[in-house]
Amino acid sequence: MYKHQHSTSSGSFSWVFQRITGLILVVMVISHYILMHYTPESGHTYDAVLARMQSNWYRVFDLTFVVLAMYHGLNGIWGIFRDYKLKQWQSVAIIGLLIIFGLAFTLWGIKTILDIPYVPTVSS
Amino acid sequence: MSEFKKFDQKNWVKTNLNYRKDSGSWAWILHRITGIALIGYLFLHIYSLSPLSQGRAAFDTFVAKYTTPFFMVLEWLLFAFVLFHSLNGIRVVLVDWADGARYHKVLYKYSVVIGTILFFAMGYIMFAHEINKFFAG
Repeated sequence: MYKHQHSTSSGSFSWVFQRITGLILVVMVISHYILMHYTPESGHTYDAVLARMQSNWYRVFDLTFVVLAMYHGLNGIWGIFRDYKLKQWQSVAIIGLLIIFGLAFTLWGIKTILDIPYVPTVSS
Repeated sequence: MSEFKKFDQKNWVKTNLNYRKDSGSWAWILHRITGIALIGYLFLHIYSLSPLSQGRAAFDTFVAKYTTPFFMVLEWLLFAFVLFHSLNGIRVVLVDWADGARYHKVLYKYSVVIGTILFFAMGYIMFAHEINKFFAG
C-alpha cells in the first residue's frame, strides 16, 4: 500500500529550492567571473581585495554567494546519497557530517569576509 | 506477472556501466561529477582565501602560489566544470518547469556547443598573452 506523504516531509521544498538557488547561482557565478576578472576593481593582491571590500555591495554579494553555494552544494551531495538505500543511522551520520562541515566552512568564509578592515583612504 | 529485476546495490558500478546511455544519462552522470567537484572546490576556495585575515604579507605570499601556469590551466578546467554544471542545470530546470522533456535532447546539443565555444573563448582570454607571444615569434 502506498503511504501518503505530507508535502513538508517529502522533500519537495528542497527540490524546488535547489532549482531556485541553482538559477540564482548561475547569475551570481557569471557576475563573480566578471567582477573578479574584468572590472577596474579586479585583482587578487591584498590591496585590490581591500579596495574592493570598502564597498558593502561586494561584501553582501560575497556573503550571499558563499551561503547559497554551500547550501546548494551540500543539498546536492545529500541528493546523491538519497538515491541509495541507506540505513537510518547512515542517513543521520551523513546529514550530521554535511551540516557540521558546511556550517564550519560557511562561518569560516563569513569570518574571512568580515575580518577585512574598513580603512578611511585607500589608493584605488 | 513480470517481476522487476531487483537493483543489485553491491554491483552498482557494473550495473550502471552496462546500462544503455542516451545524452540524458551522460548529462546526469556529468552533472553529479561536476557538482561533487564544485562543492569540493568551494571548500578549497574558503580555505585558500582564509589568509586574508592575517594581513597583507601573509595573503600576498599565499596567493603568489596560485598564479603559476599550472594553476591557470587548473582554473581553465574549473571553468569547464562550472560551464557544464550551469548549462546543464538550466536544462534541468527547463525539463522540470518548461515542458523540456519534449526537447531535452536538443537542449543538450545546444549546451554542448555553447559550452565548447565559451570554454575556448575563455581559454583565449586567459592565455591571450602567451598565445600572442607565441605567434609574434
